[in-house]
Amino acid sequence: MTPYALIYTAVLLGLFVLAGGSYGGFYSVGKLWTNAAFIRTGIACYLVAILLALAICLFTPLAALWKIFIVLSCLIYAAIPPVTWRYLAKLHRTPEESK
Amino acid sequence: MYRSQKLAVRYFVAAVALFGVMIIAGLLSALYYLHPSLLFDVFNFNMAKIFHIDTLVIWLLMGFMGAVYWFLPQELGREVEGIWLAEILFYVFCAAVAVVSVVFIFVQYGGSNEFSLWFINQGRKYVEAPRWAAVGIVVVVLTFVYNVVATCIKARRMTGILWVLVLDLIPLTLLYLDAFPALTNMSTDLYWWWWLVHMWVEGTWEVLIGCIMAWALMDVMGTSRRIVETWLYIEVMLVLGTGILGLGHHYFWIGTPQYWLSIGGFFSALEPLPLLGMVVHAIYDAGAHHMKTNNRPAFYWILAEAFGNFIGAGMFGFMMTLPQINLFSHGTQWTVSHGHFAFWGAYGCGVIAILYIAKQKISGVNFLDGRAWKWGFGLLNFGLIGMVGGLLIAGIAQAFYERAIGGSTLMAFMAGQENPWFVSGMYARMGFGLIFAAGYVVLVYDLLSAGKHAPKSAVKTQAP
Repeated sequence: MTPYALIYTAVLLGLFVLAGGSYGGFYSVGKLWTNAAFIRTGIACYLVAILLALAICLFTPLAALWKIFIVLSCLIYAAIPPVTWRYLAKLHRTPEESK
Repeated sequence: MYRSQKLAVRYFVAAVALFGVMIIAGLLSALYYLHPSLLFDVFNFNMAKIFHIDTLVIWLLMGFMGAVYWFLPQELGREVEGIWLAEILFYVFCAAVAVVSVVFIFVQYGGSNEFSLWFINQGRKYVEAPRWAAVGIVVVVLTFVYNVVATCIKARRMTGILWVLVLDLIPLTLLYLDAFPALTNMSTDLYWWWWLVHMWVEGTWEVLIGCIMAWALMDVMGTSRRIVETWLYIEVMLVLGTGILGLGHHYFWIGTPQYWLSIGGFFSALEPLPLLGMVVHAIYDAGAHHMKTNNRPAFYWILAEAFGNFIGAGMFGFMMTLPQINLFSHGTQWTVSHGHFAFWGAYGCGVIAILYIAKQKISGVNFLDGRAWKWGFGLLNFGLIGMVGGLLIAGIAQAFYERAIGGSTLMAFMAGQENPWFVSGMYARMGFGLIFAAGYVVLVYDLLSAGKHAPKSAVKTQAP
């Protein structure tokens, strides 16, 4: 790994998680306020996360297994906010509502 | 108020005082980077750093213990068993901290012998307290465990949160025994020492703050027990699942087997996933209760905890946890940046939220709000973000110039320390550190004065 590769790899990894987190945040706020603009912003953040994952795979000197890990993480990020949201909604339903 | 809650208040006061000492020692430590000959041979950098880190550990630990003493009688509807012993040991704990501080200031270090180990400094990072004091901490923690377990037994009642708490107290206590050095091989010693540091911070403390936050959510937002307990189980499973073997991300440059580096990198890289779930949960819970709360400062500090934990531990951690990066970033200011943000997000914000919960009950007001807490919240978080930004710049410069280009030689270290990026980062850390300190002063002022003029009757719940 060259000194420059060290820096841009680390920055890409950090931004990747930040984009994933922003997706989760905007998606949740959008669902909370039933605001499509927030949900769309969340999806845009996720698209940025995909681009960052792609950049990590194409331009960084990480070993192949780590790149696969990044791709899988990117896929899992897509699922976490909606799955968590659905689960929380189910959890918050009272037993009467569930019946 | 229960006697246990009065004891909790004493723990909170001690925790806030030590939080202040931590800040002063941190500012002093930051000054050494700008003026390396400061207090040379009078009070060297290493002592300021010991104070900064040890008080961090102790103020958080006291905050956690205070929180448990606060919520436990509420949870079980009875006084804590053996509270008289806990009251005595609180003063013993404080006296021990004071004596160790005096020794650290005036004696500082001794020869390489048993006397130094027992009475001056154990010589182990983060757990430097001399052995007599370390024994004392074990006694205090054992009493704390006895208080919790005996109260549950006497009450003949266990809740989900209490089960998690009681099970967590076992490793919390046992791991501290690892603070007593017995090994002379440096690699072996560091290998086990990390079990204490990592498993406490990324294992048992995570679970402990999870239990405390579960109580806090029920108190501040009125979240149902069924929900917080179910979520607590999931979070504990995910955090421990990713956190325990993340241990390997510390095993750089100390002679541990190479396979640990990949194991540590893999599991710690998974850590942002449950933290993302926590962010979604925080937003959901805030929304499910229509942002309604009767304690705004506590509410906002709980939210800050979820976001701070994700960015500090998740994003800043992921940036540097893969072995190819960690190899260079390890032990630089980059790590310090991550450590500051992660501790603040995961624990600092949570303990401050509990302080406000207790404050509301002590003041007897139904609705806690005001202006000062907003200033404290803003200054502390703005100062912290600025500090970690400065440290990040300094750390990246260090990894780049000193490690990657310079090859970690002594000359490269010196060149790295004089690099303008590094120096600028250190100035930024100092400046933002002062803002953080100002936030602390406002926080203390608010904790002392909040609710004094608020009406003490008429239940009132407002949306922020």
